[in-house]
Amino acid sequence: MLALVVAHLVVAALLPLVSRRSRRAAFGVAAVLPAATLVWGLANLPAVLGPGPAPSETHVWASALHLEFGFRLDALGVVMIVLVGGLGALILAYSAWYFGKDSRDAPRNSALLLAFAGAMLGLVLADDLLTLYLFWELTSIASFLLVGQGGLHRANRRAAVQALLVTVMGGLAMLLGIVIVGESAGTYRISEIVAAAQQGAGPAGGLAATGIVLILIGALTKSAQFPFHPWLPGAMAAPTPVSAYLHAASMVKAGVVLVGRLSPAFADRSYWWVPIAVLGLVTMLVGGWRALHETDLKRLLAFGTVSQLGFLMVLFGSGDRIGEIAALTMLLAHGLFKAPLFMVVGIVDKVTGTREVGALSGLGRRLPGLAAAATLAAASMAGIPFLLGFLGKEAAFEAFVHDGDWVLALGLLLGSIFTVAYSARFLWGAFATKAGVEATEPRPVVPGLSVPTWIAAFTGLVLGCVPPLTDALARNYAAAYPAEDAVAADYHLALWHGLSLPLLFSAVALIVGATLHLQRARVTGLHTALRHPLSAQRGYEVTVGGIERFAVWVTGRIQAGSLPVYLGVLLLTVLVLPGLALVFGGTLPATVPGYGSLMQLPLGLVIVACAAALTRVRRRFTAVLLVGAIGYAIGGLFVVDGGPDLALAQFLVETLTMVAFVFVLRRLPAHFDAGPRVGRGIQLRKAALATVAGVFVAVAAVVLSGARQEPPAVSGEFVARAPEAGADNVIAAILVDFRALDTVGEITVLLIAAAGTASLVLATRHDKKGKSGRVESGGGTPEHEEEIAG
Amino acid sequence: MTTINIGMAVVLAVLYSVGFYLLMQRSLMRILIGIVVLGHGANLLLQLAGGPPARAPVLGTAPPAEFADPLPQALALTAIVITFALTTYLLALGYRSWVLTGHDEVQDDLEDRRIALSERPDGAMEEDTEGADEDTEDPGSAAASNEPAEIATGGPDASSEVSR
Amino acid sequence: MTATPEQKIPFEQWDAPSGEWTLPGACPVRTNRTLLLEAATRFLFPVVLVFSVYLLIVGHYAPGGGFQGGLTAGLAFVLRYIAGGGSEGVEIGSRLRLRPPVLMGTGLLLAMITAFAPVLVGRPVLSSAKVSFLGVEVVSSLLLDVGVYLLIIGVVLDLLRSLGSGIERDAEAGQGERP
Repeated sequence: MLALVVAHLVVAALLPLVSRRSRRAAFGVAAVLPAATLVWGLANLPAVLGPGPAPSETHVWASALHLEFGFRLDALGVVMIVLVGGLGALILAYSAWYFGKDSRDAPRNSALLLAFAGAMLGLVLADDLLTLYLFWELTSIASFLLVGQGGLHRANRRAAVQALLVTVMGGLAMLLGIVIVGESAGTYRISEIVAAAQQGAGPAGGLAATGIVLILIGALTKSAQFPFHPWLPGAMAAPTPVSAYLHAASMVKAGVVLVGRLSPAFADRSYWWVPIAVLGLVTMLVGGWRALHETDLKRLLAFGTVSQLGFLMVLFGSGDRIGEIAALTMLLAHGLFKAPLFMVVGIVDKVTGTREVGALSGLGRRLPGLAAAATLAAASMAGIPFLLGFLGKEAAFEAFVHDGDWVLALGLLLGSIFTVAYSARFLWGAFATKAGVEATEPRPVVPGLSVPTWIAAFTGLVLGCVPPLTDALARNYAAAYPAEDAVAADYHLALWHGLSLPLLFSAVALIVGATLHLQRARVTGLHTALRHPLSAQRGYEVTVGGIERFAVWVTGRIQAGSLPVYLGVLLLTVLVLPGLALVFGGTLPATVPGYGSLMQLPLGLVIVACAAALTRVRRRFTAVLLVGAIGYAIGGLFVVDGGPDLALAQFLVETLTMVAFVFVLRRLPAHFDAGPRVGRGIQLRKAALATVAGVFVAVAAVVLSGARQEPPAVSGEFVARAPEAGADNVIAAILVDFRALDTVGEITVLLIAAAGTASLVLATRHDKKGKSGRVESGGGTPEHEEEIAG
Repeated sequence: MTTINIGMAVVLAVLYSVGFYLLMQRSLMRILIGIVVLGHGANLLLQLAGGPPARAPVLGTAPPAEFADPLPQALALTAIVITFALTTYLLALGYRSWVLTGHDEVQDDLEDRRIALSERPDGAMEEDTEGADEDTEDPGSAAASNEPAEIATGGPDASSEVSR
Repeated sequence: MTATPEQKIPFEQWDAPSGEWTLPGACPVRTNRTLLLEAATRFLFPVVLVFSVYLLIVGHYAPGGGFQGGLTAGLAFVLRYIAGGGSEGVEIGSRLRLRPPVLMGTGLLLAMITAFAPVLVGRPVLSSAKVSFLGVEVVSSLLLDVGVYLLIIGVVLDLLRSLGSGIERDAEAGQGERP
């Protein structure tokens, strides 16, 4: 399974090579892998539905960290593969004709769509929460790039950023939740967490609850649930195939799928099902209501998607045998009717140049084939018999009616009424002949666009007429949930359950929905009357704007632009945090010797005197000499302390440092710049802060050195093993053998620093010469090369 | 258990204080000298952390029990050489700054000052500074996002006024 | 160094030079060499170089090593540079020109080879072995020290090239003077 996912990504990376030759062929090549995925998924159907364990595979990534790629193919996975692979292949084929033969956007879109398909495949197969998270974010990034397109249009950029901010914010919350849940469950395996929870051994307690809710937030944002939904209609700025694939068929289902994966474990917990049920229902109603008033066909469908996602969320969160059967059926149905609807919009847009309801008229007569496909898909959405959508909706009503959840049942009924109404509105808007609108003259539709649309729409009809296919998958998935009674345990998807309440619900939905559409003028009036300033989109804008303002405010206060201030803040932080820890947590050693060796005292005195003078001198050269004196005195201290190696290096380095200083001082003014006079008070404050910090370091050194072990274990070992390294000098043994890696790293730093120094100084010269016209800066003339080479 | 003695602690305190003080000055050369002094202090601290004065850790010259701790010495040796490399690099930086600007003062960052003064976000989300932005994408979604577009374009104008 | 008694030097000016004894930033004469230093350098230069090699080799048994050896050799070149009056650059003799980047690269390469050579014989990176060479027991890690030695010399020579003659040439061209 990992191989399949990786193959997608690799081919996507190589796809630009194909699109250089032919852009259409690139889409064709891209479509092969999703199609192969579909075949692979269907070939595994017997194994999935069979009594044995579901096909799974594990690739250890970092075993010490328990990081691994875990994949598992179950019924939910197969349904998603039909959407990701099957619809993916269709949409990629459709894209070949949607993007023109020499569209500049085609190479990018073909590669990104395929990469997205790979990430999405990984997501639906993932059985490990961290694996799932990885692919989850990859799909968000792919969505960002696909919505943003070339970044040329403001609408694209804005929509892409909004989608990214919302979904990644949710993703981050989810990551936190995953870690909490994974740690409290002791495993990141979804199947193991579910199995443990069903035996009553799942993650429990307040912390686990927080983690679960955080995961839920991730799922809600990804699936555009209220109040996070506005990013989805915004994302319609993307090209239509992208909308059809990401924002109808697959990516937005990720949140729903995650809920579907975890519901067997958590569906009985109130903090899981209450938010899902409430937000899902609200989303379904808000989305449906908004869809009734959109004049742009694509945005109409987008709000329809929001509404349907809310519906799916409610079903997957129900934790009820029949409800889950309905959920899986609706999941499949939604992909199979929404993707062709989007493709229809793309074709309409392509052949007429508009997708405004008010500008289209008479298209149904001129494009009867397209209208038929759209009707088929819209009928499935509305829940008309003999289509897959009807099966799902029947089961959904049955689930809540059977349980007596009247609030949810009636809520879903209202949502379904909206669904019927906006389905009708879609067909009317796209194809009806409208009074007072000039008949639209479409260009001919190429088969490359209409055939994939037809295939997708027709599949919904086939599956709707032959319920057992879907029934097997749905029942297999729902078997993870307890059945309350015999009716639930024995529920099958069927076209005819007899005269029952769900059938009545379906009929009511159809009739009232149709009425609602016929009364659209009044509904629009009501919509205008209900207009209120609070909208989720506004909320998003206010939030983002507020964060920006806050960031500017904070930056303005903290980022004062003055180096001394920054350093002062750093020092203060050192004093406050470790300083307080030292005061309250440290214990001064009982006895602190006055001196270690008599020779330390005069040397120390020299250092103190020179250092004190250093703060007062105004002549650069004197300052350098004083620093040199301090360095030599410290070298002397090293001799006293028993570090001849150190002392030798210190003397040599100090000499070289002084030489380097003098080289530069030749060109600098003799005195330190007077500069803008700094107030005496500020200087005093600096001095006070520096003194306190210095004293802190010294006290910390004394306190910390009190923890020293005698004799030091590590060093003792170094001494004992020095002969093995062939060295009597233990320091040398450490430098070139025991800790030789340090030395290699160090000389690399030296080399880089020397190169930096040379380029800084010599670059100055090149600039000058370039001005005088002798050597072009970086011109590569022989003289220039000589400079570089020395 | 033996700690760093008082004499050396005083030396450390002075070295660090002077280093910090010089670091907070405005002249690059002073800052550089401050870094060198801090480096001296740090090297001394490393060596002192190895314990009280003892014999050089060379086998055959003294019994191992009398050795000074070799590990901090090796670390300090590395630190000394690195400090040297850093110093020369900073010297070159200071020199370059002097050549380019005629002084070696660290200036306040005017850009940061400007941020502190500005009241409104200058469109960090939307880089709308390019004036000829095509806004001809589909009318539906553009209409939905008209409002924030105005908010965002308000930013650069306001901020360019501040910078003037 | 002696101030005339009439001139009262204020406390702040205690470190002001009273004569032209500091470095020749504004030396009127083009050839700013001293014969004494030049003669001494001719004698000292090879001696210090030999001493630096001694420090390098003895490092395993007594204070010394690649760092100290390289720094000592570098100081020999610094001495030569100062005695030579600057611009002549860094040359060993008149024929052999040492190019600092090459020297540094060689040093690092040598260190890397020493680090990775053990891998070829299946030992961990940077492990060392004792090798008997002409009856003298040599540790392979000495090569690492030689790499360090060469690299440090290169760093010092590069310093002379950039901060030394580089700045000097800036000064000669009268550039870097601010308007």
